[in-house]
Amino acid sequence: MSERVEEICVIELPTGESVGVHRRRFVGGPGPHVAIVAGVRGDTPEGTRVAHAVGAQLRANHDRLAGTVDVYPCVNPLAAHHGARSWPAFDLDLNRRFPGRADGHAPDRVAHALIGALRGAEQVIELRGAHPAFREETQAHVRHDQPLALERAMRANVRVVWRRADDNEGTGTLASEVPGLLCLEGGVGNRLTDGVGLELCDGVLNLLVVLGVLPEDGLPFHWAAIQRPIVATDADVVRVRATRGGLFLPYGKMWAETNQGDSLGEVVDPISGDTREIVVAPVAGRVLALREQPVVYPGSLVARIVAGA
Amino acid sequence: MSVIFRLEAPYRGEYNLHRLTFGGSGAAAVAIVAGLHGNEVNGIQSLNLVAQMLRVMRPKRPVHLLPCVNTIGAEEARKRWPFDDRDINEAFPGDHEGAAVERIAAAVMDATEADLCIDVHSGSTAIREHPHARVPLSGPELEHARAMRLPVVWRRAGGRYEGGLVGAWRGAGREALQVRGGRGLALDMDDATTLARGLVRLLAHLGIIGPQEPGVTVVDTERVQDYRSMSGGFFVPEVHTGERVVAGKLLGMVRSPLGGDPIEDIRAARAGVVLAARVYPMVHAQELVVRVAEDPS
Repeated sequence: MSERVEEICVIELPTGESVGVHRRRFVGGPGPHVAIVAGVRGDTPEGTRVAHAVGAQLRANHDRLAGTVDVYPCVNPLAAHHGARSWPAFDLDLNRRFPGRADGHAPDRVAHALIGALRGAEQVIELRGAHPAFREETQAHVRHDQPLALERAMRANVRVVWRRADDNEGTGTLASEVPGLLCLEGGVGNRLTDGVGLELCDGVLNLLVVLGVLPEDGLPFHWAAIQRPIVATDADVVRVRATRGGLFLPYGKMWAETNQGDSLGEVVDPISGDTREIVVAPVAGRVLALREQPVVYPGSLVARIVAGA
Repeated sequence: MSVIFRLEAPYRGEYNLHRLTFGGSGAAAVAIVAGLHGNEVNGIQSLNLVAQMLRVMRPKRPVHLLPCVNTIGAEEARKRWPFDDRDINEAFPGDHEGAAVERIAAAVMDATEADLCIDVHSGSTAIREHPHARVPLSGPELEHARAMRLPVVWRRAGGRYEGGLVGAWRGAGREALQVRGGRGLALDMDDATTLARGLVRLLAHLGIIGPQEPGVTVVDTERVQDYRSMSGGFFVPEVHTGERVVAGKLLGMVRSPLGGDPIEDIRAARAGVVLAARVYPMVHAQELVVRVAEDPS
């Protein structure tokens, strides 16, 4: 087996300096080609941590690897340098620039180079973090019309597999350009969250076993420890919004069972502390996401519930 | 002036969406919006100039002006809505029950019910744009744009307005177009005044106010050429917006930012008018440095 670091694109900076976008390529015996992509946005260090944890396991199993695994630890290095969501200077969300352009500016060229580099991969796994305002349970997103991706996502050691309609992913995202993409996320944006990195790493390693890249006894855990996720459609994932502005103080806990009408938190006046609204669960289910950043406007999302879970 | 939409704004009371209405009763003839992007102050200034003129002109039909939608962004010199860094112009047609930007977008849609709707923008903070109208290749919007007599009319193929406020207006069956001028984060008085005069000329063309002084459109074209830097560097412009250039004219030079060594000279391929020029000199590879509205062949 060989392991090497490759540069898929160079970002030239006005000062004459440059920054490379890299992948770590692990090549074993005959087998599938898998790509693991992290850091499309710069505020998702959890994905980068998972990419490196997976890379460490691939290295440890170097003589038993079948196929090729490309690990992209961070494809948006300039944003990650700031811990920012968007590409600095251009102030563009790289996850709205796909498929990019070969003759475009730097974000478009990186998007184009990445799409080219992913071509031919049997499975692309994107590692994301949550939005910085939220804590998210571990979850896999797949497109609703991709049964193979769904089947694989069931082995990704997450709480929920969310089958999303095409238009829910938005245009210009990596997921919209790679239909079979399997996107894993969880934790808190711009933070490393206890347990989440390990869960997602175990999930990716299990997927590599499912894909035939790693032998089952190469897992650092027993396969029976893998969680069995709930499958949810867009209709099952209910968004709960504040109706008043103020500070949202959550009551609920992540993945807690919730009955219809249970209190999820309250919105208080930021000056007096008086309660303006008790936010209640509109449906019974489990809490998939909960707001961490407390300042809310009327209409701000404060929680997501998987109905009936 | 009236507040047509309010939203609780934590720690600062309320966000208020203001609308000024001039003219008689009945359905509005025209609605003009600026400041969806908080840092595009030329649009705000141009609408304030229009308001000053309308106060003495007695419009025959109602005209709505929304001079600054993203007031909190404007206060903080930010393009997007500061709370969650979302672009209000990407939230249309909006949602009355949605997040803040979606509610604002829905309120703007409601507040701009009119025969003709116009969205006023500036260039980015790095690019200054010559006042111009962006319109489809044909149809009533093109005629409206020509009536403004802005320096440039840029006719663009369909599909370029699928999103944003203009797209939402058209989706709702209204005639809509966008005008642009100046740059973000700076008040370019000449550009703001030119935009305001164009808007007032259009109101005169529609018979809403009396005749106005004529203007001159220099270029009315589908052909607009972007010039980009081949590599990163320090762009030194040799032209300014509105300048007429001939084929071969030096538009600017890309130099090494550390030492000034020449990297690239950028020249016009064809004749036209400089529609946009970079004002912030640090450029990345393939960034726009100059845009030329070319003379129709």
